[in-house]
Amino acid sequence: MPEFEPITGRYLRVEVGGEPLRIYVEEAGEGHPLVCLHTAAADTRQWRHVMTDERILRRWRVIAFDMPHHGKSNPPGRWWEREYRLTADRYEATIMAVCRALGLVRAVVMGCSMGGAIVLRLAARHGGELGGIIGLESAAYAPGRANRFLHHPAVHGGEMAATYSIGLTAPQSPEEGKRENWWYYSQSGPGVYLGDIHFYSSDWDGRPELGKINTEECPVFLLTGEYDYSCTPEMTAEVAARIRGCRYIRMEGIGHFPMVENPRLFIDRHLLPVLEELAGRLDRA
Amino acid sequence: MKFPEPDWMKRYAEVVNQDPELRLVGWFFTCDVLLDFETARYLVRVLEGTVREVVPDPAFDRPWAFALRAPRAVWERYLQRVPPPLYHHIFAMLMRVREFKLEGDTLAAHQNIRALVRMCDLMRAVS
Repeated sequence: MPEFEPITGRYLRVEVGGEPLRIYVEEAGEGHPLVCLHTAAADTRQWRHVMTDERILRRWRVIAFDMPHHGKSNPPGRWWEREYRLTADRYEATIMAVCRALGLVRAVVMGCSMGGAIVLRLAARHGGELGGIIGLESAAYAPGRANRFLHHPAVHGGEMAATYSIGLTAPQSPEEGKRENWWYYSQSGPGVYLGDIHFYSSDWDGRPELGKINTEECPVFLLTGEYDYSCTPEMTAEVAARIRGCRYIRMEGIGHFPMVENPRLFIDRHLLPVLEELAGRLDRA
Repeated sequence: MKFPEPDWMKRYAEVVNQDPELRLVGWFFTCDVLLDFETARYLVRVLEGTVREVVPDPAFDRPWAFALRAPRAVWERYLQRVPPPLYHHIFAMLMRVREFKLEGDTLAAHQNIRALVRMCDLMRAVS
């Protein structure tokens, strides 16, 4: 018998802003929908450990998709004629289009880094539709992240992005996990990291929206690794302080990519208790 | 053998030159790099990923492509087996530790970033 993992992948057709998109979607498990958003310059592979954990898959239908320009989701339209710059509006619209196209009801959305930022906006604007958000390495305002060497004709973009990303991991994380994420980053398209950073560091200032989040309607969990120097634990604590009822967890010995750099520690110690609480709440609803 | 004394530096060069990963990724890494530890400065002459020469306290007639500079106390935090947050990687220090500087031809540094970061990480392997 072939030894397949439980993850299956398909291509979804949705329209965002009048533009047709071909989105690569993976899923595994059954139960309440849990949508996972990858980080900048990465793709669904970052979630493979979450999507193969039987304890999670027993209660959750875990879904991850590649944003356009990432992984197996092609850039839309005549992409070669315009610079890739992700905006908060476009990011929000794409996630909600995928959730609605899949017919998800009360989905919990978990995002990391730029995904951890946009879930704050989702909670503020679509909290009534969602079952909760889990923000990993969430900041509402992170200026100054752009770096011209991330997209420079004289610098190897893949090695640059990947080497930058490994600096965001914790020294205690297993070497395999850190290198796995390195590999994913090394495969991002030219300029994609910089285009994602445009959302994260230039276009996005979520601070005014944080007060609109109703955690009774949409529970909010924020988890940040102590070694994250891009979104520091202090930055997430500032976000948490502005959201009444928000739960904030500082993760010792973890960096910016908990689900891939140290999946065992992240899942066992931090994610499972959060999912347990969210599933219990959704079961009772 | 104590950081950043010359015998530590000599051992460091050996560690770099014995590293299998640098042998793999350092083929194009040919640069003169200044390591400034505040109480000691070394010009490290790298040829195709191998340290060919270490010049202690180089004078102005020994040019370099780029320099990594920080107070000794910053380097000592970076060198800990499990360094504290913000001191665990040169990119972390470039963003968050004001005293840590990358100076000179920063393009050359980034053209060799994979090998350069590996070379810096190997400072922790000097026993």
